[in-house]
Amino acid sequence: MSNQDWADANPERLYVISGGRDRKSATAGFDLVTLVVARARPEPTMQPEHAAILRICSSPLSVAEISAYLRLPNSLVTVLLADLLAERRIEVRAPVPPAALPDLSLLEAVIHGLQRL
Amino acid sequence: MLVCLLPAAVIGAAVGFAAAADPGAATSGIIWCGLVGAAAVAVAGFEAVRRGRALELAREEAARREAEQRHRLARQQEGMLELARDELPRAVARMQGGEFITDVLRSYEQQHVNNAGDEFHDFRYAVLRAVLDAVDNEEAMRESAQRAFVNIARRVQAIVHRQAIDLRKMEDRHGDDPAVFDDLLVIDHGNALIGRLADSIAVLGGARPGRQWNNPVPLYSVLRGGMSRILDFRRVELHPVSEVAVVGPAVEPLIHALAELLDNATRYSPPQTSVHLTAVEVQTGIAIEIEDGGLSLGEEGRARAERMLAEAESGIDLNGLGEAPRLGLAVVGRLARSYGFQVSLRPSAYGGVRAVLIVPDVYITTAPAPSRAHGIGRIATTTPLAFPSHPGQPDNEAYPAGSGSADTPPRPHPAAATHTPAGGFAAAAAFPSGGAFPSGGAFPHAVPAPSAPQAPYAPAAPSAPAAPPAPYEDEVPLVLERTANGLPQRRRHAAPSRFGAAAAPRTSQPAPSPAAPAPVAQPAPVPQTPAPEPVQPGLWLAAFTNGVNGTPPTAGPDGGSRASDEAAGKGDK
Repeated sequence: MSNQDWADANPERLYVISGGRDRKSATAGFDLVTLVVARARPEPTMQPEHAAILRICSSPLSVAEISAYLRLPNSLVTVLLADLLAERRIEVRAPVPPAALPDLSLLEAVIHGLQRL
Repeated sequence: MLVCLLPAAVIGAAVGFAAAADPGAATSGIIWCGLVGAAAVAVAGFEAVRRGRALELAREEAARREAEQRHRLARQQEGMLELARDELPRAVARMQGGEFITDVLRSYEQQHVNNAGDEFHDFRYAVLRAVLDAVDNEEAMRESAQRAFVNIARRVQAIVHRQAIDLRKMEDRHGDDPAVFDDLLVIDHGNALIGRLADSIAVLGGARPGRQWNNPVPLYSVLRGGMSRILDFRRVELHPVSEVAVVGPAVEPLIHALAELLDNATRYSPPQTSVHLTAVEVQTGIAIEIEDGGLSLGEEGRARAERMLAEAESGIDLNGLGEAPRLGLAVVGRLARSYGFQVSLRPSAYGGVRAVLIVPDVYITTAPAPSRAHGIGRIATTTPLAFPSHPGQPDNEAYPAGSGSADTPPRPHPAAATHTPAGGFAAAAAFPSGGAFPSGGAFPHAVPAPSAPQAPYAPAAPSAPAAPPAPYEDEVPLVLERTANGLPQRRRHAAPSRFGAAAAPRTSQPAPSPAAPAPVAQPAPVPQTPAPEPVQPGLWLAAFTNGVNGTPPTAGPDGGSRASDEAAGKGDK
């Protein structure tokens, strides 16, 4: 167990990757299912995590997936995504807002109507 | 001799004169008396002369003796002086250098073999011996004190390390909860600071800094590792560095030395300035530069700092650290001595100090490191874990294969190959062919554990571009599970019902969180998100995007949240 930990671990801690910023700064609004797609190609001068996000997001990925692929916690990924968004290197699509969906009562009414047919 | 007869002769003459001047009855008496007196005087004179001679001889003897004594005294003084000024310090130095007391004494005896009979020599020998005994005891005590030091430091290190691992797990577990996550990061940071202090104590105690690394670590990670151990890491600006890796044994000392230098740089510069951290290749290795915009180090201060480094290099005296020890440079000097780093401090163009640490060539490797920075090549990282019998080397061979089959232009970053979206994961799956998903078991070809090696590595490398990608590309996105390593795996064909259940509710995703109503800035909402190619990592979200684009929803909120949880990687638990 401990051997595996030692072999697996990285010298860098997560707070360095996020640059010490916490999520409050700019990331409200990212959801687990927010879709992310890259608008720019990764550049060699970028932080590796940013580059990795751009690389895997050439087709749309959800935040949850990015987090899983990079093996980084969601909160950290959202910080990184917020950076990229601020630089306009990615586009994000918010999950469907509830208002855009038909009301639940309407659905029920439709179902009842169908059942009555 | 005649001198002593002179008074007698004078008396004789006087007596003769008196006898001649007054002849009579008394003449004979005068003569007799005169003769007796003359004889007595002569005897007295003779005795006086003899004694005078003897006295003279005695004086001469005394003078000779005195000279001799003086000479001996001088010789002894010289001997003592030599002992005090020369031989004692040399012997003590040799003792401190680790030689045994018997050896030192024997060589002293051999040096002075010609004056072995000298009684002072024996005394000097005794003095030397007593002093060396005292030194020996002192050294032993210091050593045991240092050992105790190191022992305690090791215990602290173990706790800190344990804590770091636990914290990382907690960070993964609470990644969804920003408040908890941020607090965890704060604790993690504090933990790293404690760890650095423990490392410093261990180094000053003459031991290795801390944990050992088996595999090379990319330089970038090493630099960030150094940053992660200082208080004010936000001020450090890390510039892009060349893509080399540091071999395992040098990783920890390098991280620690960098952390100390960075700590110095951030501590002694104004809080609003930033510290620049960069690394360039030089003839003899890699030069890591740390430049701050603080107060310039005057010539005097620089001399003091360099002297501290130099002193540390020649072995450090813990007593000399003083009441408020400035451990930093001492630790750096110690590490530099042990590992051959060259450290220099110069005035910086920014006005502050520029510290340059040169890592010798022998510690640098250009081979892609198996252990990578977060997010770059994490998938590859799992391979050595799955195949303990194949550490490092097979991996390195696997990288080119991955980039070949990935069908993307090779990027400067070696890790790029494993993560190109189109073929990246296919490639990652292709090279170990069961190595990347070793324990999942969902992979048809996955031969778990050590029986697999011959198949995946060698043949897969060259032939990857031709045949294998097709089946793999088909299969890779199937798995939506977690391996033991927490790696996501998808299973579409293998578990179609599950995927259907997961995908369908997602289309109706009513966004359970009330704060969600499109607060994310939408510079340009993705118009047609469905993946253009069939084997994109995002393909399975097509149903979702369809739903987003207007396909009527079909299920309730419950399914949606479940799906998102699943995607969020609950597997960490």
